[in-house]
Amino acid sequence: MDLAFIWTTFLRLIAALQVTLSVWALSVFFGAFIAAGVTWMRGSGIKPAEWIARAYIFVFRGAPLLVQLFVVYYGLSSFPLVRASVFWPFLRDAFNCATLSCALCTAAYQSEIFRGALAGVPHGQVEAARACGMSGFLLFRRVIFPIALRQALPAYSTEVISMVKATALVSLVTLWDVMSVALKIRNDTLVTYTPLLIAGAIYFVVNYLIARAFIFIEQWLSPHLRARSA
Amino acid sequence: MDLLTALGFGERGWGPALLYGAVMTVLVSIAGLAIGAALGSLVAWAKLSGVRIAAAIGGGYAAIFRGLPELLVVYFVYFGSSATLTGLDHLLGGEGFLGVPGFAAGALAVGVISGSYQAEVFRGAFLAIAKGELEAARAVGMGRWLMFRRIIGPQVLRFALPGLGNLWQVALKDSSLISVTGLAELMRTSQVAAGSTHQPFTFYVAGGALYLAITSISDRVFEFAEARATRGMRREAH
Amino acid sequence: MPESESDSYALTVSGLHKRFGSLEVLKGVSLLAREGDVISILGSSGSGKSTLLRCINLLETPDEGVVTVAGETILMRKTRDGRSAPADRRQVDRIRSELGMVFQNFNLWSHMTILDNLIEAPIHVQKRPRAECVEEARALLDKVGIGDKANFYPTHLSGGQQQRAAIARALAMRPKVMLFDEPTSALDPELVGEVLRVMRSLADEGRTMLIVTHEMGFARDVSDRIIFLHQGLVEDEGPPAELFSNSKSERFRQFIANERT
Repeated sequence: MDLAFIWTTFLRLIAALQVTLSVWALSVFFGAFIAAGVTWMRGSGIKPAEWIARAYIFVFRGAPLLVQLFVVYYGLSSFPLVRASVFWPFLRDAFNCATLSCALCTAAYQSEIFRGALAGVPHGQVEAARACGMSGFLLFRRVIFPIALRQALPAYSTEVISMVKATALVSLVTLWDVMSVALKIRNDTLVTYTPLLIAGAIYFVVNYLIARAFIFIEQWLSPHLRARSA
Repeated sequence: MDLLTALGFGERGWGPALLYGAVMTVLVSIAGLAIGAALGSLVAWAKLSGVRIAAAIGGGYAAIFRGLPELLVVYFVYFGSSATLTGLDHLLGGEGFLGVPGFAAGALAVGVISGSYQAEVFRGAFLAIAKGELEAARAVGMGRWLMFRRIIGPQVLRFALPGLGNLWQVALKDSSLISVTGLAELMRTSQVAAGSTHQPFTFYVAGGALYLAITSISDRVFEFAEARATRGMRREAH
Repeated sequence: MPESESDSYALTVSGLHKRFGSLEVLKGVSLLAREGDVISILGSSGSGKSTLLRCINLLETPDEGVVTVAGETILMRKTRDGRSAPADRRQVDRIRSELGMVFQNFNLWSHMTILDNLIEAPIHVQKRPRAECVEEARALLDKVGIGDKANFYPTHLSGGQQQRAAIARALAMRPKVMLFDEPTSALDPELVGEVLRVMRSLADEGRTMLIVTHEMGFARDVSDRIIFLHQGLVEDEGPPAELFSNSKSERFRQFIANERT
């Protein structure tokens, strides 16, 4: 039980947590906007848009994230056209590639969550709003979105936590996240279990905290589902 | 090398290797799912048994593996099992390094992760069986094993199919991570081909397309299975 | 109908047709409602009564026919595939805000308190000042007997209380005509009375009400007129006393005999 080793390993891994969390936060955030667009296209009624959205969801949910990461990082950079383009300064950076790829992937999953949540809004409540003269953006803003948001939270929390776990893959495209630092420590010291266990503990705690945060948000937004305390 | 030659079945083509990799992916995923089913049903049974310690252990296992990155689990199982095997070998007088084959380690890793989710699927499926059916079985004097074989087992399978179909897709995607062990499944093969031909885009897209093909075929298979399994079920108005 | 005459009606409907696929649910229904009229719409299921009500505020789009609310006719047009559609979305929204609808399943917004339910549309659709809406909402809640439940959420209320809240919500819009779509059909029997009491007091106030209902006693005692629909057409109509004792429609006599048992 080399406590000093455990402690230094822990510190090094915590330092790498910044990379992990950055990729995670940015990909979830931008993924949400992409997902909103895809969901809109899917339900737009415009056939070509619907088709593109469905194809997008099929590809980005069906193919492993690792393949997607490699296509973006290794695949795109192999084209002279890409290297000469205006996107190259952005794409040549591994962090940007990885975040972009993760964002595209989570967007497909988030889009399906949004779609399910919108479909779950009770039709009667929407009708009542229409019967009062609400329509368009007002109807969406005041009735559809608030209800759909609350419906989406459980599934959304699962997806957000999945993304934390998925970021471990960026270790395979040269980023120094918690996973790759743990592996480096193992390679350097030949100690197998300690770095991996500590890394595992860190991921576990992060996921636990995120899960608690979502439970808190769910309770805060749903006084109407709790028993009346008065 | 142009596209057709690279992907084709000729002398320098990678077609056969990719297909072989796809088959390997399917096999290791099936093995993983099977291990997951064994673990999952064990945990579900533990949670349903009412024995608090068993439920706690089962719950703990599920919670842990749902909170860990899949890649980490793959590394842990692969390095860990190899280290254990090497240690055992040293105890018996051997020397050097003994590695666990990638297939075994990979299937075990996928299985251990899948099991933690399958536990919930099985538990939910069991709870969905109408209590009346179980009471009727007891009332005609069916023993516990017979009841399990003829009533509970088949019904749990029926209710669990949608969830299992989903977890199959997850296992397929998780199996791509086994590539880090060097196992010649689809992801690894794409990687090798990409490196060898310096055409990463071609081969990663081809690999992705093959994954999508496997996914599509699996979808059909599960649709068919679900349709057959729910024959005569849920005709009552809900 | 000459323009001047329809002005004096709170609501006119003429020649309403509505098809769902190949099934024609309304085959040419007309009705006139003067201000203060309480009209009960009776009929067996499938007769088209709910559809009629929902065509008035365009929750269903009639294929043919004209609806005029307080002298304003809802403008319709034909879409490219020959179907009927409202010509002016804003007119539809505006007219809907002048009609109050009470649904069989209450349809209160589950994420808002009762008070918020009541002030939502007056503030955001009618653009009235918040303080005024809140004051009026509280008064309405007192009026329907749930003044103490203003800060409760719909799921915490009984069915009868929820429906009374829904009625108050419709009243908060200061509607010209109120539409009730089987308001008590989803309620446990012992809760029906409290809702009918509220509706009766509204009728006594002189509100214009169109009520689709199965409550024969209520229809008979409270309505000015009864319209009996059968398979998409008006079979008979008139004051309750006349209809219940002396209907010229065999079907209606059959209908009330069945409902009584």
